Amino acid sequence: MVDVSQHKLVPEHTVLDDPDRVDEVLSEYNVSKTNLPKITVSDPALPDKAEPGDVIEITRDSRTTDRATVYRLVVE
Amino acid sequence: MQTPKEIGGIQFGLMDPETYRDMSATKVITADTYDDDGYPIDMGLMDPRLGVIDPGLECRTCGQHSGSCNGHFGHIELAAPVIHVGFTKLIRRLLRSTCRECGRLALTEEERDEYRDNLVRAEELGNDPNDVLKSAVRQARKQSYCPHPDCGGVMHEIKHEKPTTYYEVQDVLAGDYSERIAEAMQPDPDDEDDEGTGPAELAEEVGVNVGRIQEIMSGEFRPKSETRKKLEKVLGVDLTEEDMNKLMPSDIRDWFEDIPDEDIEVIGVDPERSRPEWMILTVLPVPPVTARPSITLDNGQRSEDDLTHKLVDIIRINQRFMENREAGAPQLIIEDLWELLQYHVTTFIDNEISGTPPARHRSGRPLKTLSQRLKGKEGRFRGSLSGKRVNFSARTVISPDPTLSLNEVGVPDRVAKEMTQTLNVTERNVDEARQYVANGPEAHPGANYVRRPDGRRLKVTEKNCEELATKVEEGWEVNRHLVDGDIVVFNRQPSLHRMSIMAHEVVVMPYKTFRLNTTVCPPYNADFDGDEMNMHALQNEEARAEARVLMRVQEQMLSPRFGENIIGAIQDHISGTYLLTHENPHFSETQALDLLRATSVDELPAADGEENGGPYWTGRTVFSELLPDDLNLEFTSSAGDTVEIVDGQLVTGTIDEDAVGAFGGEIVDTLTKVYSETRARVFVNEVAALAMRAIMHFGFSLGIDDESIPQAADEMVDEAIGNAYERIEELIDTYETGELESLPGRTVDETLEMKIMQTLGKARDSAGEIAEDHFQEDNPAVIMARSGARGSMLNLTQMAGCVGQQAVRGERINRGYEDRTLSHYEPNDLSAEAHGFVENSYRGGLTPREFFFHAMGGREGLVDTAVRTSKSGYLQRRLINALSELEAQYDGTVRDTSDTIVQFEYGEDGTSPVKVSSNDDNPIDVEGIADRVLDAEFGSEEEKERFLGSREPPTNLSEYAGPGLNKAQGMEVESDD
Ligand SMILES: [Mg+2]
Ligand SMILES: [Zn+2]
Ligand SMILES: [Zn+2]
Repeated sequence: MVDVSQHKLVPEHTVLDDPDRVDEVLSEYNVSKTNLPKITVSDPALPDKAEPGDVIEITRDSRTTDRATVYRLVVE
Repeated sequence: MQTPKEIGGIQFGLMDPETYRDMSATKVITADTYDDDGYPIDMGLMDPRLGVIDPGLECRTCGQHSGSCNGHFGHIELAAPVIHVGFTKLIRRLLRSTCRECGRLALTEEERDEYRDNLVRAEELGNDPNDVLKSAVRQARKQSYCPHPDCGGVMHEIKHEKPTTYYEVQDVLAGDYSERIAEAMQPDPDDEDDEGTGPAELAEEVGVNVGRIQEIMSGEFRPKSETRKKLEKVLGVDLTEEDMNKLMPSDIRDWFEDIPDEDIEVIGVDPERSRPEWMILTVLPVPPVTARPSITLDNGQRSEDDLTHKLVDIIRINQRFMENREAGAPQLIIEDLWELLQYHVTTFIDNEISGTPPARHRSGRPLKTLSQRLKGKEGRFRGSLSGKRVNFSARTVISPDPTLSLNEVGVPDRVAKEMTQTLNVTERNVDEARQYVANGPEAHPGANYVRRPDGRRLKVTEKNCEELATKVEEGWEVNRHLVDGDIVVFNRQPSLHRMSIMAHEVVVMPYKTFRLNTTVCPPYNADFDGDEMNMHALQNEEARAEARVLMRVQEQMLSPRFGENIIGAIQDHISGTYLLTHENPHFSETQALDLLRATSVDELPAADGEENGGPYWTGRTVFSELLPDDLNLEFTSSAGDTVEIVDGQLVTGTIDEDAVGAFGGEIVDTLTKVYSETRARVFVNEVAALAMRAIMHFGFSLGIDDESIPQAADEMVDEAIGNAYERIEELIDTYETGELESLPGRTVDETLEMKIMQTLGKARDSAGEIAEDHFQEDNPAVIMARSGARGSMLNLTQMAGCVGQQAVRGERINRGYEDRTLSHYEPNDLSAEAHGFVENSYRGGLTPREFFFHAMGGREGLVDTAVRTSKSGYLQRRLINALSELEAQYDGTVRDTSDTIVQFEYGEDGTSPVKVSSNDDNPIDVEGIADRVLDAEFGSEEEKERFLGSREPPTNLSEYAGPGLNKAQGMEVESDD
């Protein structure tokens, strides 16, 4: 099986497992979890331990800034 | 009546029949509308309590007159309940998922709670709640018995016959069951060993006593379903029949009344607001007469609205139904009438139901009932709310006017006299206001209406204008004509980007067309081959201020699409600046002043030198007069040389498309970003004016001789093409001997095609190069191509050298006859000419066969564009609709209307493309910005202050009144004489 998460075009997906970090992100943007963009658990780019309800931090290359950070909520 | 100022939200639900009765102004019982004297009949469809339409009459319910009374609903008590067509799907869903015995949802408590949670989750996540509801119904429908232990009722299958009939499908005992049993008990005639089944034997096997079996066999007793199943098993016979039991609306209503509140929530119905039994109508609201006004025809006859006609039908049937029922008519007649009532109520709500014949007018025209008023392009939503016809708008053909500023629009006087602006008369403008009124409606700056403080509106006429003018006082309103300097909104369809609608200042002009400065053609994508545009006069101070500050053309100088200017010099402007600066010609004083006559420059700088006994000025010096004194720039021009501007002086280089053109002309872009929109507007206006004088000074025209090349060059072109033909001949030979080697991944045939195409492409290019070499530098077509004004070198080589290969679907032309393109060629001829190579030039002329192939290629181009525009237009519309709710928030995020984040930082860098300067190497010109900051840092103290202190751009007042570099200043100087 190909592990797509190792592909150079797939940006880094990390699970925010520290609840404080999640709260920090949510309060920074003043949102509830459900107002974050979504990603399905079946997404092959996700780390194996990701479960529905987790918040994922994605750091990727950007055309306008060098690196951009976005967050997504894992859903079923 | 009080109108709420802001709608926080709208909740949709069902309405309680009791509410219908409560809000009803009257019960409607007679189908008649007016009596013989023409008065509306009480408790009829035109009852005066339902509102008034005739002016002068008073509403019997609210006491107001027509216009202020919105009308009032009445009601009809239906003789029997009927189904509301709008809810047939939901009714079916409920029938299938609930138990008829106990009314509860056929789900266990746990299942029910799970689905309810799923519903909440789906709403939170923004998923479609319908998916959850459907799966709940699917789950409940699977049960054949009610899962609640205290009930266990049978769940029959529900058959829905569109639009409004429902059946319960039951397995019942066949009518001829006794015969079927008797037959099965007979011995089989083909089987000698079979002695048949005796009643006693049967009784034992089934487990009932013999007497009962006897009774069953004689047809006196109908076996219960359990006994029936055993009999079927023992005898191997089918005793069941499917029975379709029609559910009358009243049955359904009774059924739905039993459904508990907790259960309907799972089906997606809010029990707080809606009960399912309300989907079966017992009371029909009668819309107010204001919603269905009758019209009086020329012959004095009244013509009623379609809705009224439909209501008449409903009331008539309703009455017949009641009379028949009271008279004790047979069930069959009652059912027929019931169905008829259902039909009329159905078509009253929606007259375009498939499977139901639409209710028709006497003339045969289908009636326009409730749904038809709302649905579709001409319906209330798309036709009357999202888009509607507006007042204070005008449309006419556009034509160019280079003397206007790009901020202006020339408005025909007849348009200006029709469209008005409201002038509130005050102490300061009362004389002005009186003058407008005194001029009357026919003379130009006049007035069409006045409004007295008591609210009365008076029309200004030629007769009364003098007298009316004397009466105008403070506090009046005068609807005056449009005058120079008024702000209007201007638009050209298709409105594909925000620059398709911009605000312009009015200049009233004679004749019938709107006049535009040619530099605003690119944002509107307008030309003057018959294009029409729309103009809207703004009607309040807020709108006018907003248009002036945000929407004026100069504020739209930069396109948010690519972050550079979209307004700038085009076509002849660019040829003009090219002629002026490319070879840097010399001009005498008279000539130089003439070039600058249409600009605000009225004094020449120091001369560049002396020749022929007088001073001269160079083209670049003249051009530099338009630049700000502290501008420094360096870039490469479209013509290929380096343009250098030092301290506002063009030192070297050609000014062409890359300098002043629309779509990213460097100087315009820089002026807009570094100086101001106003400075850029002044510059563009003046460049256009200067360029027009320049091109007229030199003269610029293009004729057929400008595309001819010397005989010798023609021969060279022929030779190049001849060589290519020879090479192709060789290729074909190697192919036919089977020696052609195929390219990787290609067949031999494909390889040959590719090589031929390549060879011919090269032949065309070399023909082009030969032609190019023989053109003079001052050839007008060359000037236009080099400067970027219009056309390309390819266009030119096709005119002078060789048109080249024609293609359909990216291949040489291969279609037509069997194995050949035209009957002029032998079958399987692979030569260049047989497959659409045009060796002639446009100027030389095409042979008939070449012409035909050229038309084939041209046709594909036309079809392509036609298809592409419609496809891409629709794609763009969908994209815009999908993205229109996204909004950049104050915290920098981009969110949709439900506050879901789409981008965590707008564009990931949080910058607007029109607010950052950029160049080809860097998306953001950090160096340029830093340079400017440093310059400011080390400059003089004043300069430092100017850059570090907050720099407020001046408010955008009219061009005639604004501060800084604008026409007003120039005009002040002029007004001295
Ligand atoms: Mg056109
Ligand atoms: Zn009223
Ligand atoms: Zn039940």
